Amino acid sequence: MLLSIRGLDKSFGGTPALSDVALDLRAGEVHALMGENGAGKSTLIRVLAGVSPADRMDARLDGAPLVLGSPADAARAGFRFVHQELNIVPTLSVAENIFLGRSLPRRLGAAVDWRRLNRMAGDALGRFGLSHIDPRQKAGRLGTGDRMLMRLASMLVSGDTEPRLFVMDEPTAALTHAESERLFAVIRDLRARGAAILYVSHRLDEVMALADRVTVLRDGRRVLTAAMAETGRAGIIRAMTGRDVTEAHPRRAAPARAGTVCRLEDVSAGRLSGLSFELGTGEILGVAGLENAGQSDLLHLLLGDGGRISGRAEVADAALPRSPSQAWGRGVAFVPRERRREGLMLGRSIVANTVLPHLGRLSVLGLARKRLETDESRRLAQALRLRHRTLAQPVRELSGGNQQKVVLARATLDAPKLLLLDEPTRGVDVGAREDIYATIRSLAAQGTGILLASTDLPELIGLSDRILILRDGRQVGLVATQGLDPEGLLSLIYGEARGAHE
Amino acid sequence: MIHLRRYATLVGFGLILLAFALALPDTFLTAQNLINISQQVSMLAVVAFAMTVVMAMGDFDLSVGAMASLAGVVAASLFAAGFSLPAGLLAGLGTGLLGGLFNGLLVARLGILPFVATLGTLTMFSGAAFMVSDGRTIFGDDIPEAFGAFARGGLPVGGLVLPSLSLLALAALLIVWVLLEHTSYGRRLYAIGGNMEAARLAGVPVRRLRASAFAVTGLGAAVAGLMYASRVASANPTQGDGLMLNAIAAVFLGMTMSEESEPRALATLAGVLMLAVLDNGLTQLAVDSYLRQFLVGAIILAAVASSRIGLSKG
Repeated sequence: MLLSIRGLDKSFGGTPALSDVALDLRAGEVHALMGENGAGKSTLIRVLAGVSPADRMDARLDGAPLVLGSPADAARAGFRFVHQELNIVPTLSVAENIFLGRSLPRRLGAAVDWRRLNRMAGDALGRFGLSHIDPRQKAGRLGTGDRMLMRLASMLVSGDTEPRLFVMDEPTAALTHAESERLFAVIRDLRARGAAILYVSHRLDEVMALADRVTVLRDGRRVLTAAMAETGRAGIIRAMTGRDVTEAHPRRAAPARAGTVCRLEDVSAGRLSGLSFELGTGEILGVAGLENAGQSDLLHLLLGDGGRISGRAEVADAALPRSPSQAWGRGVAFVPRERRREGLMLGRSIVANTVLPHLGRLSVLGLARKRLETDESRRLAQALRLRHRTLAQPVRELSGGNQQKVVLARATLDAPKLLLLDEPTRGVDVGAREDIYATIRSLAAQGTGILLASTDLPELIGLSDRILILRDGRQVGLVATQGLDPEGLLSLIYGEARGAHE
Repeated sequence: MIHLRRYATLVGFGLILLAFALALPDTFLTAQNLINISQQVSMLAVVAFAMTVVMAMGDFDLSVGAMASLAGVVAASLFAAGFSLPAGLLAGLGTGLLGGLFNGLLVARLGILPFVATLGTLTMFSGAAFMVSDGRTIFGDDIPEAFGAFARGGLPVGGLVLPSLSLLALAALLIVWVLLEHTSYGRRLYAIGGNMEAARLAGVPVRRLRASAFAVTGLGAAVAGLMYASRVASANPTQGDGLMLNAIAAVFLGMTMSEESEPRALATLAGVLMLAVLDNGLTQLAVDSYLRQFLVGAIILAAVASSRIGLSKG
């Protein structure tokens, strides 16, 4: 056994993220780590990386006790990490990136020996059969897949310790099919050399084809470790979604369709294609798919932030908005996916963040009416049960869930016609989640048409009337949620046939 | 702790005032000297207030000094060519508005970094000022009597006269203060400064606002240039050049005193006054002008550094 972990506990601020987790990795195996969002996969990876050390853990490397208290410990143990966001320096050459942080071969003790550097980099790439990458070209000109392969090549040359374990977190999320295949070949090569690969992915087909064994986490606990050959697709899905959550989402009466707030007919735009659906007033339409299957692109499109389209699109009784500013003006509201990057002015007050899109309506002749702004913010803060000290405090000081409530307050201040929600409960604790659900339901009851993109399947089924399914940007299904369970939805998302990630 | 940080600069300012008052008991804290300071600083104040508008968005305008010079020589050249006073003034102000808008389009439409874009236009405006004036100072009979008289005039209050230039700077302060603190326009600028992408996705027309804010700043620079020309009853192609660095310094000094370190109109006023008082006091103490320059720079750094130290700990 290469790495053996027992009794791993990790909690954040009293909330347990991992409880009594066990993980065994053998040399020369690809081990899949699966679980829904929030199941604890990322936390486990951060523990392995030494970024956030465990509260309690018995870890053994080759049978000898192992302490993972810092990233340096992880590096010394031979652990290497490949994330979606790669640390590369785009303005330097591939060869320089591969040898980044190490001393470069030199001539006469000073000048960089470029020829030797390029040859060494070429050798490193060649070990993976990556002869199509020129070590002299700028790393920034490589595609996402080649960047990842370059990183892998650099991990094999860098560091004093031989790499023993590669941890790959959703490595194929942004790769094309051909790039993925090339990565898989490299992974198999690494396995043949005796390394262990811990492979995290939502793509079931990929995982089933690649992994030898699988560990499934649910709610911070290990629920399954088994050989892939003994575990079917259905077994993995059952292990992932096991909890009975439908009680938390009481079924709503189907809304009376008084009108349509959004209609798309065979719309294509960017990577989106084949979009045809109608969203009625008071309806909640879920948008499902694997990570990054085009959910955000669809919402941005309806916000007027998606560029040119083909096909016919109608939003709030008019053509597709040309800009977010026009969209908000027509009663389209938006809760973005990344609240800190796309949603909030962290240094500004709760009031300033809440009223921003509505300043025009809340002012007279361009002059702001601060009393009214504060009153409106207070009304929403109470409705959403926002935990705060004062409405003038910067949103930076709020917890994640409460920050999300501010973004939602902004979107709901003016009872929008169409509300676009992109992962509205991502990284939000259970209590705040319930408040957000209540707000979403009450808006729908008032006639707002809601498009809800979420990778939390129980949430999606619990809230939505119908669910639109996207795969690689293409609409592949539109189903009623009546009678649908997470297992059924997940198999719709993955597609019935194997190898659906074309 | 936060309050200590915010008021550190003001306390330092108070100590400097006290030191000057003690060192110069007869000449420093007199009404006439304070009025003189207000007049000396009025051009810088107008440019700094205008700079606050773009800095609220997190942007910069390095071209304000060159624009002030250009607006001055444009107006003076038209006077020299026989155009009327209003025509010259309008042309000067129009130059500022258009030049500022040009900056805004470079930044907002083409996406050029404000630092680079306005560094380019700084050079362009400066070259244009030399071309318009032929590199000469325009003065004497070419300048209408009423133009120079404006800066010498003022509003008599009691036994003193409040200079027109000071009053004009006060008006600029009022306009910028209302614009930034009390209009939707200003709130949106701060939203852009807080998080541009979030502001855009929340329906703020970022491009239009950025372009227009640069236009406002250009106009402010032109006003300052005309004030300068009026004060010396002449115009030359470099007379506004020194304004830019001091204006940015004033806004930064102000930011050390504002909540969340944002550029605010009244905080900029405090920054401007601090620079003016330092200059006036050190001059009266007959401190060597090179040393004076060195000291002013060091004090600006000290103020900004003290506010950063507070931030990183808090």
